[in-house]
Amino acid sequence: MDADLLEADVGGAPRDGSHSQGVYIYRPTNQSKSFAERPTKRRKVVRPNVIKAAKSHPFVSLLNGDEDANSIELRYRTYQQLWSAQEAKIKEILDDIDSEVLTNVLSFTRSTSPQTYDGCIPAALVTVGSNVSSLGRLLSRLNDQLTTTGEGGVIVLESGDAPNLKTTLKNIIRFAITNTEGNDGYQSFVTDREGPRVLGYDLDLLADYVKRKDVRKLVIAFRDSEAFDPGILADLLSLLSSWLDRIPLTLMFGISTSVDLFEGRLPRSSVALLRGRFFEIHEASNCVDRIYGRLQAEQDGTFWLGRNITSVLFEKSSDSFQTPEAFSRTVKYAYMSHFFANPLSALLADGPATTKRSDQVCEALRNVSSFRTYCEELLEEGSAGQVRKLLEDDAFLLEQSTRWVKLGQQKMRDIFQCVKMVHRTLKHFKVVKKPSLSDISIRALAGELQSSAFYEDFLRSIKTLDSNQLKELIAMLPATLTDSPVFGQIQADFDTLLQTYQGTEPLKSGYDKQHSVVATTIIQQRVKLSKSKARLPKENADFTNIIHRVYTLLEAFFEDTSIRPKELILHEVFLFDMRNPIKEVFSPRPRFAVERALSSPFDYLISPSGDLTVSISAHQPAAAILYQLYLESGSLVNVHDLWQAFYAVFESEQGDSCDERSIMAWFYRALSDLKALGMVKSSRKKADHVSKTSWMGL
Amino acid sequence: MQPDSDEARPVSTPKRPRTTDAAPNGSVNGHADREKTPEGKPAKRIKSTPKKPATDTPAALKASGLKTPTHKNKAKALFSTPAKQTAAPVSPTKARNADRSAKKKSARLLLEQDEDEIWDGADRLAEEILGDNDTTIPTAAEGDGVIPSVEAGSEPAAADTTAPTPKRRAGRPKGAKNKRSPTPEGELPAHERYFFQNRAGPPRTSNNNLSKVNLLTHEEYFEKMAQWVDPLQEEKALLLDLHCRSFPQWDFEFDQGFNICLYGYGSKRRLLQAFADWQYCRHHNDDDNNDDSENPSVVIVNGHTPGVSIRTIFATIVTAVLGADIPSKMGSQPQEVLELLQSSLNARGPSYPPITVLINSIDAPSLRRAANQALLARLAATPQIHLLATADTPNVLLMWDLSLRDQFNFVFHDCTTFVPFDAEFDVVEEVSALLGRKGQRVGGKEGVEFVLKSLPENARNLYQLLLTELLASTDEGHLSDDEMGGLATGGEGREEAGIEFRTLYQKAAEEFIASSEMMFRTLLKEFHDHQMITSRIDASGMEILGVPLSREEMEGVLEDLVLA
Repeated sequence: MDADLLEADVGGAPRDGSHSQGVYIYRPTNQSKSFAERPTKRRKVVRPNVIKAAKSHPFVSLLNGDEDANSIELRYRTYQQLWSAQEAKIKEILDDIDSEVLTNVLSFTRSTSPQTYDGCIPAALVTVGSNVSSLGRLLSRLNDQLTTTGEGGVIVLESGDAPNLKTTLKNIIRFAITNTEGNDGYQSFVTDREGPRVLGYDLDLLADYVKRKDVRKLVIAFRDSEAFDPGILADLLSLLSSWLDRIPLTLMFGISTSVDLFEGRLPRSSVALLRGRFFEIHEASNCVDRIYGRLQAEQDGTFWLGRNITSVLFEKSSDSFQTPEAFSRTVKYAYMSHFFANPLSALLADGPATTKRSDQVCEALRNVSSFRTYCEELLEEGSAGQVRKLLEDDAFLLEQSTRWVKLGQQKMRDIFQCVKMVHRTLKHFKVVKKPSLSDISIRALAGELQSSAFYEDFLRSIKTLDSNQLKELIAMLPATLTDSPVFGQIQADFDTLLQTYQGTEPLKSGYDKQHSVVATTIIQQRVKLSKSKARLPKENADFTNIIHRVYTLLEAFFEDTSIRPKELILHEVFLFDMRNPIKEVFSPRPRFAVERALSSPFDYLISPSGDLTVSISAHQPAAAILYQLYLESGSLVNVHDLWQAFYAVFESEQGDSCDERSIMAWFYRALSDLKALGMVKSSRKKADHVSKTSWMGL
Repeated sequence: MQPDSDEARPVSTPKRPRTTDAAPNGSVNGHADREKTPEGKPAKRIKSTPKKPATDTPAALKASGLKTPTHKNKAKALFSTPAKQTAAPVSPTKARNADRSAKKKSARLLLEQDEDEIWDGADRLAEEILGDNDTTIPTAAEGDGVIPSVEAGSEPAAADTTAPTPKRRAGRPKGAKNKRSPTPEGELPAHERYFFQNRAGPPRTSNNNLSKVNLLTHEEYFEKMAQWVDPLQEEKALLLDLHCRSFPQWDFEFDQGFNICLYGYGSKRRLLQAFADWQYCRHHNDDDNNDDSENPSVVIVNGHTPGVSIRTIFATIVTAVLGADIPSKMGSQPQEVLELLQSSLNARGPSYPPITVLINSIDAPSLRRAANQALLARLAATPQIHLLATADTPNVLLMWDLSLRDQFNFVFHDCTTFVPFDAEFDVVEEVSALLGRKGQRVGGKEGVEFVLKSLPENARNLYQLLLTELLASTDEGHLSDDEMGGLATGGEGREEAGIEFRTLYQKAAEEFIASSEMMFRTLLKEFHDHQMITSRIDASGMEILGVPLSREEMEGVLEDLVLA
């Protein structure tokens, strides 16, 4: 290849030819020069701050670079604190979810041996379903357990580790030894051995290792057992079973389909070598719901994800399988975005905002849209003085805004208290089969909880509670509600009622079905059902009264808390609700991006002259022209005609001045681009034809 | 599909208003309408639904006498109306038509010289199917009245320039038709467009080929490219600068344990280089008393470079980690190297700066294999490694399944740069391969003959045998395929034409050219070294041998061999 010309074209690339190297370690070639030029120019404003702070954290100065180092630091610290707390919660949940299976599997591995299984290999079949990552967690925890007690270890095999039997064996042996001895230990183990030198895949090595280290349990786990070649697996199983007397093996298969299917893939003779138990790991969605509830609905929450993000998160985990880890990473990214790009997030920090540049913060506050609406409302109410003060007095504004943020946070907590209460009630009294916290949260975050079916179900279930159930409900009510004097009164009345009540049956309210009588009458050959209230004993009437009071109280409480979070003033500080960074970052559409770039290149190439050419013209990049011509062709493309059409685009605009050979060079480049993008491939149907392989928008 | 509901939703049938507008203009449209009205069908229905006209299309189908896919036949039987018989006076009878096997039909199709007229019929039919009968070829040729756009202006000019090739006058409007007709811009939803462009029938393209066009050589291409000044330089620089502004963000993402994948059209090498510079500058220790290991290591991988292997990538990273004390033996398997890397990273502890790995084109063919991606995913999952990969192809996401995506832990950013892929691809090579003209580079007929002269008798005989067999097999076997392509496709044809290794060996043994397989292989190796044969493994796992020559060239070589 003509290297010189290439160099000329690539321009900024280093001249030492490193770009034609496959792999190389980056060396700053002309250190002093290039660094003085590019980065400083780009980030002129922030430079002094960044250089100082660079070592400590990766945040940059916002507010057009005027943000001072203190508040940057503050943002970063707040983020760290907040997220590490949340991360700990997530980890707790994950550990908790796995723990049951872990204990089961652990006891299985400990209790079983070939002896107890008549010479069969003990095998644990773990179905993971969509929750693929959980197996990895399980295995690493199992390994930790086994290695710390010195019992043995876990060898995790993936299908990629088993291209053939020899390599598989070699990998098993290597993983087993490196697990406890490390890489060097493995090397020395293989080389410093007495007797004849054995090959890396000789199970003698493993047996020797087992003997030397007194290993009692060696678990071989096949992570994605479906992806293994059944032939290799069968060979491996028969080989391992013949070593069972020397190596204490337990097998473990991760199965994403079903045990039957897994069994069906293996030959009978291999299946006969195994005997074991079946374990099931819970579905991911359950876990994700719990994580979400834990992150959002905690009493001490200070920062929340809004409705849009919530729906994106759950759309993603319901549309495609998503591991709990991936879910929490997405949440993490939302947190990151907020603190990285929102200068106001510094207000979330504990303690007073210590910033020298409070004027900057105040200006930012005044530009926030919720602040503006608030001011407009104030003006309508006629309190112009208040508005003036807010706009002019920085100290006052800061003071107010901390108060607002506190208030808003309380409101958010209340909302999630409601959500939790509804969720728990529905779940506890089994009104709805599987109420999901996320669904309720989405409604609540949109301020629509009261118009949702959940709310109706909830209220209906309240009416039909009996006295025992009411007690349970009261235990579930949030503190904000139970602290109110009205509630105290109800509680007291309820207690006295219960004390006077002697019956063994719990009290039923008048709303209960048992207390209504259904009368059946036949009028003109039609059955007519009419309900009427049965007469209630006195206690029950009192109880009905109490239920009614609870009902009204709850209704009022919901009325109070059901607000749209986006209407809260300064919600920008404690609520993050932008669909976009999350959606684009985690569900990218590269195909759409390429198609868009090629079909309307000026979406990307923003022309300083503001010239927005819509249709094909010679001003566009060659590949874009060719792509648009290509779009209009059929499934088979005549390259000659394509070239003519391409040439015509230039010729019509440049007249005779255009150089055909240059245009052909661009045509070549564009065509090779299309080929590299997988849009054309050569066709045998006709001479000099290519076939079209992608259709835009599909 | 009901006409009434279609009326209610104008979006779904964009052609409708067009049709009514355009119906009065152009004699052909009038003609088309007239044809239909006698059949007693309201014109409105015909236009509005794609389905309805299918009932009267078989008339046109039969008129062409060429294209009768079976299901269409059925449709005709179901909906047959007397009007059809009368409307198709020229067509062969139904029975004959049905009798004719597909193969015979295709053979006749090849013999048919007057193709254009027939294809026009088919085209018109297709347009009727879509109810888009205002854009038949003649109207397209009339141009401007139908589509008032920039293209309309540019097209006649194009037609003029190609006028010097008078024989293909009909071909040119074809190209134009492809551009403007049945699928006017933005009118059809994507799936409709797909089915329209993939409709059954022979290819509707002209018979032009590039034999008269002087193709570019490497030298000329680079010469022209060197002269080129990008008119969009400013815009591209702006775009690049825009991406560069996200560097701190990327850095933060790295810091939080994410890896990054950049996608979008355009080469991203410069962007990555700039990022490496930026990173170096940012994390560089200004104090001189620090030794080199304190500085961040950046490893750059160019996925498109031939010969880049996953093992070399890992080995280079190991070098970056360990510096001078690399173990003498790293292991030959990439897995082993990866494990060495992971253990040495673990041993190093978290106080050291992490290693940044920048991979240009992670979807390059050499890295694309599932096994390689799995290894890269493991690399990415290593805590001390920060991976930034760029992807060029639109379908890059298909490479990774759920667990790989989980390991990669990518955040994606759209980094469309529009920078040409000069360093990535050998453009001329790619295009020649695409056009099936790659063989010509090897030296063609002359080159092969030159080599043959210097080879022993046996080798020449074997080559002769190979050529004879290949030519014979193309004559018998893939008749329709090869004939369709005509002689000029020889270059592509040889991709297909091939002889199975065993068969050739048996023949060679019969002819006493090679007495043992050993010897046979030795002879073949000689050919292989001079790139005179190609070998590939077909779907059933057999080795197929071929010759990188066009058919004429093969015949020429064979002739010379026999005469010599």
